[in-house]
Amino acid sequence: MFEIGKKGTEKNQDAASRDERKPAGPSPEATAARRPAGNREAAVIGPSIHIDGDLRGEEDLVIEGEVNGTVQLKSNSLTIGTQGKVRADVYAHSIHVEGYMEGDLYGSERVNIRKSAQLRGNITSPRVSLEDGARFKGSIEMDPQAVEAALGTRRSPSGSGQSSGGQKTPGGGFNPGDSSGKTEAAGVKRG
Amino acid sequence: MQPQPTAAEALNAPLFASLIERLHGGDRCVVLDLGAARTETLALFGQFRSRMDIADLGDGIERFQDPEMGPEQLRQQADRLLPARGSEPANVVLCWDLLNYLPRPALAAVMSAVADRARPGALVHALIVYSSKTMSARPGCFVPVDEQRLIDVAPPGAQRDAPRYSPEDLALCMPGYTVERGRLLRNGMQEFLFRL
Repeated sequence: MFEIGKKGTEKNQDAASRDERKPAGPSPEATAARRPAGNREAAVIGPSIHIDGDLRGEEDLVIEGEVNGTVQLKSNSLTIGTQGKVRADVYAHSIHVEGYMEGDLYGSERVNIRKSAQLRGNITSPRVSLEDGARFKGSIEMDPQAVEAALGTRRSPSGSGQSSGGQKTPGGGFNPGDSSGKTEAAGVKRG
Repeated sequence: MQPQPTAAEALNAPLFASLIERLHGGDRCVVLDLGAARTETLALFGQFRSRMDIADLGDGIERFQDPEMGPEQLRQQADRLLPARGSEPANVVLCWDLLNYLPRPALAAVMSAVADRARPGALVHALIVYSSKTMSARPGCFVPVDEQRLIDVAPPGAQRDAPRYSPEDLALCMPGYTVERGRLLRNGMQEFLFRL
């Protein structure tokens, strides 16, 4: 297991957050990716790093390398950068996907899928945004009750690994037959 | 002169409006969108207690064009491209323009696979080229403008012949579905609401 974000570094991080930082690289997007939560610098897993296993931490993280396993940043932000390749279930406060991601995403605050992203998996979050051009296959759970239930169960990470797709319907389901108004007759008849 | 859809033209879609109206009841709905994930669609359905399953069939639609593929292979292909069975079944299916790009046997295979992923009584909202003899060479990209209107935001491109599936063709290819209502839209597409 890999642990990031020791408590002892918080003082430095606070100091860093007061800095007026210049862009970290030539691309404004790359700069933003390294500062996913305000101005505080995030930890970075560089493009040459490959990690298999569980990744946990208490600071914001940018993945530009390859991670297989699980990622848990319960109170922090995760950015999967344009060079990042993640095959994992991810639990974080907010999740930004710009690169390749295969697995389920649980964002307790939000999930942002950028146009450069390729994502195959399920998303569970109260707020999901997706830029046009992003490639996505999977399910997006937006029902507040189901999101709450899923995130509640996921707080014990040794749980069943239940995906959003396996959620029971909270409070019943929409019955398409419950039409308040049969407004007009079918304009087409079957042969 | 045949009506030609343009990228900037929003279409009144009364059957879509009626579908959305039903969702306002507040019950949870599971939407299977056979098209690509789009911000506008997510925003519209996100206001309801919903889950969206995105199939993005347009991404693999060319895999259905091989005339040598038999019904079993076509069905396997459909199962590969659609979300896995076993998750909560859909009660709403969005099928905007894609059926025009499937030969009849593939259409039957895909809609049979869709039926296996939907609840009995589920509604399928479909847009199908009907009066126009030609259509875009690639599937369009329809998104909701609001709760009554849809717009094709795909850039205009090369044209090809349209299959112009009739309700009778569709009934033969989709034996488990009944046409609840159908409307001819002003761009020459037929708007259908099927029920499983």
